[in-house]
Amino acid sequence: MKAIRDFAFQCGAKLSLNPDFILNKSGRYFLINKNLRGYVQRDFYYAGTYLGKAKKGKFFPSFNLLAMLAKGEANKVVVDKKAAWLFICGRDIFRRGILTVRGSRKKGDHTLVLNEFGECLGFGKIVCRLDGAAKTEVAVKNISDVGDFLRREA
Amino acid sequence: MSGKEFFVDRYRQLGWEFEDAKPRQAIRINTTNAKGKNLEERLQTAGVQLEKIPFLETGYWIRSSQVSVGATAEYLLGLYSIQEAAAQIPATLFTNLKDRTVLDACAAPGGKTVQLADLMGNTGVLVALDVKKQRLAALSNHLERCHVSNAVVYHLDARQASRLKLKFDRVLVDAPCSGNFAADRDWFERRTVADVKRNARLQREILAEAAACLSSEGEIVYSTCSLEPEENEVNMDWAIKHLNLQIEETNCHGQKGLTEVFGSQLDSSVARCRRIWPVETQGFFVCKLKKRVGKR
Repeated sequence: MKAIRDFAFQCGAKLSLNPDFILNKSGRYFLINKNLRGYVQRDFYYAGTYLGKAKKGKFFPSFNLLAMLAKGEANKVVVDKKAAWLFICGRDIFRRGILTVRGSRKKGDHTLVLNEFGECLGFGKIVCRLDGAAKTEVAVKNISDVGDFLRREA
Repeated sequence: MSGKEFFVDRYRQLGWEFEDAKPRQAIRINTTNAKGKNLEERLQTAGVQLEKIPFLETGYWIRSSQVSVGATAEYLLGLYSIQEAAAQIPATLFTNLKDRTVLDACAAPGGKTVQLADLMGNTGVLVALDVKKQRLAALSNHLERCHVSNAVVYHLDARQASRLKLKFDRVLVDAPCSGNFAADRDWFERRTVADVKRNARLQREILAEAAACLSSEGEIVYSTCSLEPEENEVNMDWAIKHLNLQIEETNCHGQKGLTEVFGSQLDSSVARCRRIWPVETQGFFVCKLKKRVGKR
């Protein structure tokens, strides 16, 4: 639970999750609802909404969690079409690809990366002050993007 | 009892003249995720030309594409899935899936599981089983990509589903099968009648367990991508005689199920099943069953 809350905090988001509905299966966290409660037995493999996994003290958020955070107040950059495509290919985001910034602009903070339709493509780390950066400068370093679904299968 | 000539002769005896088939690539829109997102327009802008599949509500064939449809942002965001056209049929045969308790007995890699969740609008409970642990990773990825939130997955053989001590309103048995030549280039070289019979036995065991887990008003949809009657019509004939099930009328794409197979007469209700010989789609078979009302 703490790992999830800490991650949300790093992204400038607040997440209120009822601990009664969070399941931890070998470091993998799931959010279930009332309906599912009676159906989740001890040996389940996956349940409800996958939130991410904690491994060696590090938290790896799921894309479901990122999408949840993106719906509320959080650090976000909205990027143009080209930057969005490059981002899901695993690339970093140049300042010139950013259309709008919401929340933190501070170097070192985490930010969600959204396409022009407001869909969350992943998240990254702000590597320069977003206010003052040159257009050709890398502004957000890719940490995780939805292209990972393809890379997992490879 | 194997080889192309042998199987082609069997198909001729069943009333179908063999022709080489190349199933067209198809996608299915995940309506829960794609609602209000102008997906068709977005794909068109990306260079993907779609053609509505006439017998499916949310299915499209890819007419042409300048990009890989399995690598677009829209795909990665779960707005659509790549799913063969005939394989999109079974989940659509259930009535009223919202708020139901549904079992997907042989779920991995998860195409139909995601479709069921979509048809359920992420309501109710969807229990998904698969016997092969390594396939559960693909299933989990599929669920995560498509933002499914009503599923519980177990590493469990469908033949042991009653271990969960649950009753289900709807059960999908997309049974492991021998496949068909349209989906596998080397099919004729790799398959024998012995394989077909072995699969048919396994399918009966799964069906029996599905029937045991079914609530009294429940529905089972049974499907395979096999063309072999032992795995299809003959198994349905067995199911209605041994599992207290009856076959329901379905008005989906495909031809009537065979009621005469290699000289054996099957129950006339087997005609209510649907058999799809491969042309634009792969070969497929689907049947909807319910518990029999009253004793025969």
